[in-house]
Amino acid sequence: MSVPTAQNIESDLTGLWKIDQDSHLSQSGIRRIYTTNLVAYASDHEDGYRVEGILGDLVQYHPGRYILVRPAADTAEAPLRYYVSGRCLSWADPEKRVCCDMVKLVAQKEIIENLYGFTFSILVPDLPVEFWWPGDMPYYNSFFEHMAEQLNRVWVDSSKFKDPVQSLARLGAFWHKRYPKTNLADMNWIRIQRWQALIAELFDGEWSKYLKEIKQVTIEYGEGGTPLRSFYLACWLAAQLGWRHHQPRLSKLTDPLVFEGPNGSVEILLKPVPAPDHRADRIFAVGIVTQGEHAGIFTVVRDEDPHLVIARSEVNHQLAFSRVVTFEHLHSDDVLAIGLKHFEADPVWKKTLQMAGSILVHPDMSLEKGSKG
Amino acid sequence: MLSSALLENPLRQGLSSGRVAPPCSLVIYGASGDLTARKLVPALFELYEKHLLPVSFNLIGISRSAISDEDFRKKLKEALLQSKPQVSDAIWNSFSQNFHYHAGGYDDFKVYQALAVKLNELDEKNGTVGNRIFYLSTPPNVFEEIISNLGAAGLAKEEKGFSRVVIEKPFGHDLDSAKELNQKVREVFKENQIYRIDHYLGKETVQNFLVMRFANSIFEPIWDRRYVDHIQITASEDLGVGTRAGYYESSGILRDMFQNHLFQVMCLMAMEPPVIFEANAIRDEKLKILQAIRPFDEQTVRTNAIRGQYGPGFLAGQKVPGYRQEAGVDPQSITPTYAAIKIFLDTWRWHGVPFFLRSAKRLPKRTTEAAIQFKEPPNLLFKNNMTELSPNVLIIRIQPDEGITLKFETKVPGMSMEARTVNMDFRYGTSFAEGTSEAYERLLLDCMLGDATLFIRGDETEAAWAALMPVLNLWETTQPEGTFPNYEAGSWGPAEADEMMEKPWRKWRKL
Repeated sequence: MSVPTAQNIESDLTGLWKIDQDSHLSQSGIRRIYTTNLVAYASDHEDGYRVEGILGDLVQYHPGRYILVRPAADTAEAPLRYYVSGRCLSWADPEKRVCCDMVKLVAQKEIIENLYGFTFSILVPDLPVEFWWPGDMPYYNSFFEHMAEQLNRVWVDSSKFKDPVQSLARLGAFWHKRYPKTNLADMNWIRIQRWQALIAELFDGEWSKYLKEIKQVTIEYGEGGTPLRSFYLACWLAAQLGWRHHQPRLSKLTDPLVFEGPNGSVEILLKPVPAPDHRADRIFAVGIVTQGEHAGIFTVVRDEDPHLVIARSEVNHQLAFSRVVTFEHLHSDDVLAIGLKHFEADPVWKKTLQMAGSILVHPDMSLEKGSKG
Repeated sequence: MLSSALLENPLRQGLSSGRVAPPCSLVIYGASGDLTARKLVPALFELYEKHLLPVSFNLIGISRSAISDEDFRKKLKEALLQSKPQVSDAIWNSFSQNFHYHAGGYDDFKVYQALAVKLNELDEKNGTVGNRIFYLSTPPNVFEEIISNLGAAGLAKEEKGFSRVVIEKPFGHDLDSAKELNQKVREVFKENQIYRIDHYLGKETVQNFLVMRFANSIFEPIWDRRYVDHIQITASEDLGVGTRAGYYESSGILRDMFQNHLFQVMCLMAMEPPVIFEANAIRDEKLKILQAIRPFDEQTVRTNAIRGQYGPGFLAGQKVPGYRQEAGVDPQSITPTYAAIKIFLDTWRWHGVPFFLRSAKRLPKRTTEAAIQFKEPPNLLFKNNMTELSPNVLIIRIQPDEGITLKFETKVPGMSMEARTVNMDFRYGTSFAEGTSEAYERLLLDCMLGDATLFIRGDETEAAWAALMPVLNLWETTQPEGTFPNYEAGSWGPAEADEMMEKPWRKWRKL
C-alpha cells in the first residue's frame, strides 16, 4: 500500500479505472460520473461497516466521490491506511458503464479527528460536499467542527441520538448561530415527509377551513423508543399552523403537548402502541379531530398490509373521501437518497426545529466544549 | 409553484411535492381510445403516486362505445398493469374510485347536459369546486362539434372554478382549417382556457433547452451566426406506418412531425431569451421564430425540401414491407414518409445559418436530437501536422438516452501532433438516478395548475402552418421528382437529401 497522500489516492484511483478499462468487462469504456462529494464519519469500528454498506447502496442513486472515515479495529495497525474502490451503477446501460469511487480512510483514534484537512484534499473540486454524521451528536469533535464550518450541508440522524431531548434542544438552540452558512439536515425529517404529504392532502381546497378548528391530534408510534418522529410531526403541525406553546418546557417527549391555536387550545398526544423492536418510533397512525362549525375526523393509518397507508376524512359521521397509497419501508440509503435530491436549505425544517427548541428544556450549554462562545 | 387553491393550505407549504394540482374534474372525450389507456391514465397514476394529484379528483370518460363504468375501469386497469404490474387492487380501487364513464355521441346535446348535471353532483360530493378540464382525445373532425356543444351547455364558463380545454394534435389540416378551428374554439373558450398539446414539449430534455441556454452563461455568447455553421434537428423512427395508415395517408410526415414537434424544437433552439419565465413571454419569442422563417417559393421548395417514401428493406435483420405495401395504403400513394427541409430564419442572430430539419419513418433507429455544428477555427494552425479536424458539435439528445454531448478535438498522446475527436457527455440517466417523467404526466399537471408554458398558442399553430403551406401545396399537387419509393427501409433516407447540405463539411449526422 502506498503512503497515504492525496496524490497517491488519485493515482490509485486512476490506476483502478485504467486496469478495468483494459479488462474484457469494459470494451466500450467507463464513464466516471461525480455529482456530489459525500463524506461520512463512523465513530466506531462496527458502525463503520454499517455505514460502508449504506454508502455502497447510496452510490446507485447519486454517483459521486464517497469518503468514509472510520477508526481502525486494531491499535497495532498503521496510524492511517486508505483503500480505494470503484462502484459501478447497476441500473445504467451495461454497454456504457457508469462508475464512481469510494475512498476509505482507516485511522487510529489518536489522529482520526484531525483528518479533516486530508479529507478536504481528496474531494472532487467544484462539487457540493455533503457530510454525514451517522451516530450520536458529539459535544465536541474536531472533525465534525471543521466539516460543519466548511462544507455545504451536515446530515445527522436523530434516531441515533442517545439523549434525543438534549441533542434536539441543542440543535434547535445553537446550530444556526454557530454554523450560519452550513445547512443542517436530519434523516428523521426525511422519514416523516410522506406522513406530512398525506396529512397535507387531507386539507387541500375547501377542506383547508377545517385546519383552524383542530382541537386534538393523536399520533401513534411504535413503543420501545423515544417518539422522535412523532414529536417532529407535532412540531411541524404547530409551526405550519401558527400554534404557540405556552406550557412549561418539556423534558420528556412523551408528555402531552398543549398549544394555543386560533380557536383555543390544541392538544397533541403521542401514544405508544405495541410494535416489534425494529419498529420502535415508527409512526403508525395520525388522527386529527376538528370541532365547531367544521367538525370532522381526519386520519392517516397504516393498513394491515404494511406496504399500504390509508388517508381518510369523515365529516358528519360520513366518509368524505379516502385514499390508499403505497408505503414502502425506507432504508437509510433510501432516506439519504431522497434527501440528497434537494440541495437547498429546507425552511420548513428550520421552522420545525425552532419550534422543537421552544418546547424542549433548555440544553445544558456548559457541556458545549470547544467553547465557541 | 403552488396553485391558489392550495395556498390556503399552510401544510402544503415547503413540501417537496409543492407543485400539486388543485381539486378538479377531468373529462376525456375519446376515452375508449388508446391514448387514454396507454398514456393519460398511467400519467395520472404517476401523479397520484407522487401525491401531486388532488384527493378531490374526478375522471369522466366519454365516447361512443357502450360500456359500463365497471368495464371502463377494468380496461384502464388492465392497461396500467402492463406497465405497472405491481399495482395492487387496494391502490387501484383507491386511485380509480372517482372514475366514471358516459357513453354517447359527440353530436348528442343531451350528453352534454347530462355531463353538466353530473359534474355539479361530483363538485358537491367530492369538493372539486367547479374546476373542469375537457380533454379532446378524439379524431380532429369532431373537435368543433364537441367544443360548440360544451359552450352551448354552459360548460366553458368559469363561474365557480376554471374551465379548460386540451386539444390533441393535429390542430388543423392546413392553414385555413387551423384558422377556422382557432376561430371556433375561441367563440367558446378564451385563449387562456385553451391548451393545445404537443407532447414533445413535455419531454424533460426539451424543457432543458431553456435551462441549458438561459441558465448558463457559456452558451449564449456563441449561439449565433458568428459561431454556428448550421443546426440539424432530426426525429427518426424505425417503425413503419403500422395501424395508422388511414391517418397517415392524409397527413404524411410534414403534418405529422414538422408543423408541430420539429418546429417547436427549432423555436426553443433559436428563440431570443424571454424577458420573464412566463407562458406568454416564452410563446411570444417562439412565435417570432416561426414568423421569421424565410418563405418558401416553388424554386426553394424544389431545392430546399426533399421528400421520400420508404420501400421494402431490412430492419434488425428482418424484412419489412415498403410503405405502399402496408395495409390501408394506396399502392400508388405519393404520401411522403421522409422529409428533409433547409430553413433560414431572417433574424439578426441567425442570418445565413441554415437549419436542417429531417424526420422519417423506417430509418435505422429511433432517435430525436438537435445538433449545433460550430464553424471551424479561423486559423488552421495545425494544417501541416494534422490531416483533418472535425468541427465542434453540441448535441442535445431528446430521446432515447437523453442528454448533452460536446464533441471537441484533443491531442492524441504521443510524440506526433495528432488530433482526435472526443465526447464530453452529460446523460440524464447517469447523473440523475431519478428517471425523467413521462411527457403527459408533466403536461396534465401543468394544465391542472393553469401553466400554459408548454402548450402551443393559437397564433403559433397558424404561423407554423403558414410557413409549411408552400411545401405542402407543391408536394400534394405534383408527382415527386424521381420515383417513389426512393429509400430502402433501414437506410438513412434518399441520397438527394445530402445535396441540400451544399458545403462539403456539412453532412447529415449518422445517428
